[in-house]
Amino acid sequence: MTQAAPETPTREAWRMFRRNIPALMGLVILTGIVAAVLWGALVYQGDPFEIVWAPHEPPGVTPEFPLGTDYLGRNIVAGLLAGGGPTLAVGAVAALITMGIGIALGALAGYFGGWVDTLLMRVTEFFQVLPALLFAMVLVTLFSPSLWTIALAIGVVSWPQTARLTRAEFLRIKELEYVTAARAIGAQDGRIMWRVILPNAAPPLIVSATLTVGVAILFEAGLSFLGLGDPNVMSWGLMIGANREYILDAWWPVTFPGLAIFLTVLSVSLVGDGLNDAFNPKLRSR
Amino acid sequence: MSLLQIDQLRVTFQTRHGAVTALDGVSLSLNAGETLAVVGESGCGKSITALSVMGLISSPPGRIAGGAVRLAGEDLTHASEARLRAVRGAEVAMIFQEPMTSLNPVLTVGDQIAEAILLHQDMTRSEAWTQAVALLDRVGIPSAAARAKDYPHQLSGGMRQRVMIAMAVSCRPKVLIADEPTTALDVTVQAQIFDLLNEMQRDFGVAIMLITHDMGAVSEMADRVAVMYAGRVIESGAADDVLDAARHPYTRGLIGCIPSVDHGGALAEIPGVVPPLHLLGAGCAFAERCAHVREGCRLARPELQGGAHSVACFGAQEGWV
Amino acid sequence: MSLMQVRDLRVEFPLPRPRPFAPRPVLQAVRGVSFDVAEGRALGIVGESGSGKTTTAMAAIRLQEAASGQVLFEGTDLLGLDAAQMRARRRDIQLIFQDPYSSLNPRARVGDIVREPLDLLGVGSVSERGARVRDLFAKVGLREDQMALFPHQFSGGQRQRISIARALAPGPKLLVCDEPVSALDVAIQAQILNLLARLKAELGLAYLFISHDLGVVRHVCDEVAVMYLGQIVERAPVGDLFARAQHPYTQALLAAAPSLGRRRSRGFKRPLSLRGDPASPSAPPPGCAFAARCPKAAAVCRDVPPALDGAGHQVACHFPG
Repeated sequence: MTQAAPETPTREAWRMFRRNIPALMGLVILTGIVAAVLWGALVYQGDPFEIVWAPHEPPGVTPEFPLGTDYLGRNIVAGLLAGGGPTLAVGAVAALITMGIGIALGALAGYFGGWVDTLLMRVTEFFQVLPALLFAMVLVTLFSPSLWTIALAIGVVSWPQTARLTRAEFLRIKELEYVTAARAIGAQDGRIMWRVILPNAAPPLIVSATLTVGVAILFEAGLSFLGLGDPNVMSWGLMIGANREYILDAWWPVTFPGLAIFLTVLSVSLVGDGLNDAFNPKLRSR
Repeated sequence: MSLLQIDQLRVTFQTRHGAVTALDGVSLSLNAGETLAVVGESGCGKSITALSVMGLISSPPGRIAGGAVRLAGEDLTHASEARLRAVRGAEVAMIFQEPMTSLNPVLTVGDQIAEAILLHQDMTRSEAWTQAVALLDRVGIPSAAARAKDYPHQLSGGMRQRVMIAMAVSCRPKVLIADEPTTALDVTVQAQIFDLLNEMQRDFGVAIMLITHDMGAVSEMADRVAVMYAGRVIESGAADDVLDAARHPYTRGLIGCIPSVDHGGALAEIPGVVPPLHLLGAGCAFAERCAHVREGCRLARPELQGGAHSVACFGAQEGWV
Repeated sequence: MSLMQVRDLRVEFPLPRPRPFAPRPVLQAVRGVSFDVAEGRALGIVGESGSGKTTTAMAAIRLQEAASGQVLFEGTDLLGLDAAQMRARRRDIQLIFQDPYSSLNPRARVGDIVREPLDLLGVGSVSERGARVRDLFAKVGLREDQMALFPHQFSGGQRQRISIARALAPGPKLLVCDEPVSALDVAIQAQILNLLARLKAELGLAYLFISHDLGVVRHVCDEVAVMYLGQIVERAPVGDLFARAQHPYTQALLAAAPSLGRRRSRGFKRPLSLRGDPASPSAPPPGCAFAARCPKAAAVCRDVPPALDGAGHQVACHFPG
């Protein structure tokens, strides 16, 4: 048994996180992407929609346009920098909405059971059987296709998965004796749900949240690809969508935003895994 | 010569603390038709001993690093996997603590016993089924023909353990290893299972190696006892000798700390806990918990000595315990 | 003086309907149980799995919903309290669980686990609570420097000590112990049983002690109630019960408990081994629940349920003795 000196939980988690090489790499990539996007927003003042050069200039030819230009002659670097913010924002907001609705409903259903469970699960099933993409398309077309409606639409179609997962974890954990122990010392339902059960249910939920960020970014790309994105806001999905027809003529206008999405999703899930391990006391004493 | 002879068996496991020695020179012998109880707390190596006899130590991480397991003279530690498969079930059978997880949930119990019979004996399916029903009847399952068509979850824990015993004796093994066979059962059912094991022994002449942590069970069931601690046998002898005149302080402690129905009052205590195997030093593994410990105990490990009632304790050997 | 009086407690679990719209069958887990726990005394409830012993205790302290009955705790009927009133009462009634591995929140430091009841109750200042936690750690035999560790860094016996410290934190009058040692090794069992006995004497605690093991009960309890199929079949002061068990089921339990006094070497033969398993609690027989397994059963036993009779030593049997 190793004797750990008292250390704040955050410090201890950070110590664990630092030892996790893939998670650290994920954090470095993610920080890089966010920094680039912020830097772009501050430094790069031009309009990413502006046509600045000949179309389909390959990367590395003109120093001004290191990643080349797209089918209209727009700067791809400018597009990536300007499109990153909206893309990340949509991913994060959609993931927050998904986790918020999913965890709240799943926790209530799993913890209280009975008719609460039956009712909430029927609602969940209703949302789950809706074809997600079509439903999101309907929502986006009903309202104006702004970033917020897109994020909301993605959140609304993605939460049932999280709700089911949360419910399953709550069902399992509420039967464990430490939950009964909490009731026996007079803890109220709210405290038991959020302070006792939720932290123990966190590992799969954190993984699910990071996956949701990825799914939301891809979803936004999908909607943009179908022409349902916000046409006035640059995003990585919009770049892919706009250039998809010319992919056989020029690979770079779709590849670089695609790569950006890939790196973002990968780094977010690596960080998620790392966070999960870092906050798991059982792995700490290793 | 004994039917089953374990000689200086050493088993190591690869763990995150490096290689640890789970069994450190264990020697046991089991004679035809007798019951040997191997007793100790969890982690003492009693179950690993049983699994090594069956050739079921998973490797890696486990490894038989030395010694021999001789069944009627044949060393099983060097036997081929094919030979071991022939031995398992036919010559050495085993029953486990949790009969639910040791039975296949999707086959009827009759099918499972018939399967075991067909594995080792040359007969038709219907003959094997008939024999399975006869065995279920033999182990005291009422209306055996109907129960043979039941699935494990339809039976109670005690009934499932009876099924396991029926399966174990189906090929008339010479040795039956029972690893905590009643730990998961109620006390009245435990008594039934003990009675049944004794009956099986009488009728089939099978030698039983009973792995247990319960000194009461040892008293009722065993002819001879081996007490294990931290991967070694620390005392062994006839049940009466060990129970009435235990020589090792640990054995005495184990006997003293049983909450018995025969008397009330405070219990004897063994302070502390079994040390983790990777932290064992050079001395006696029990030294830290022993009331009689002397300087010498921490320097060298006592060997098991003393003929019929042997003990691995300097104090007992030199007469100051 | 009586601390807790339980009167005619019943607990039912609804079972799934056999077919749509059919009446929902119920499993009668506890069928009219009455007992008293006196201040500073320990009542043991003994029974096999399915006897309803744990459900009885959980219903008595409102951690399980009761169908009917009365639980007077210092004169207040707990079953009549609303949720907030009941929470306020919880400080007087605390609980220790069987499984030391699932009873502690794996994500909380053990110091915080023991402190939590104090925080919830708002006992004293922050520094007073800290002092109380340190005091509790010492009381149950743990070191102060272990407070920052997590549950998985402790052995089973130490976890049970943490569990006990948490239960003692609010300063309860009654401690419900649900099989507190049955998951522990025998040497560790003795340590925990002795600790419980010491705390009872030091703090004047009353225990409601659930166990399947008569031996364990004998060492901790002042009075014992034996349960069978949701009912108490015998209740007596501990010495009386072990010396003069009146109910055939109690006698069978005693006969089945392994004991050092019974030696295979001396030709031990069990006097009475119960046949079969208990009847199903979803369809209890009309007469005595034990009749089907009872060696003394007569016609009256199958038709008329015997009442729990007698002063001091009570027994529910038509043919006691």
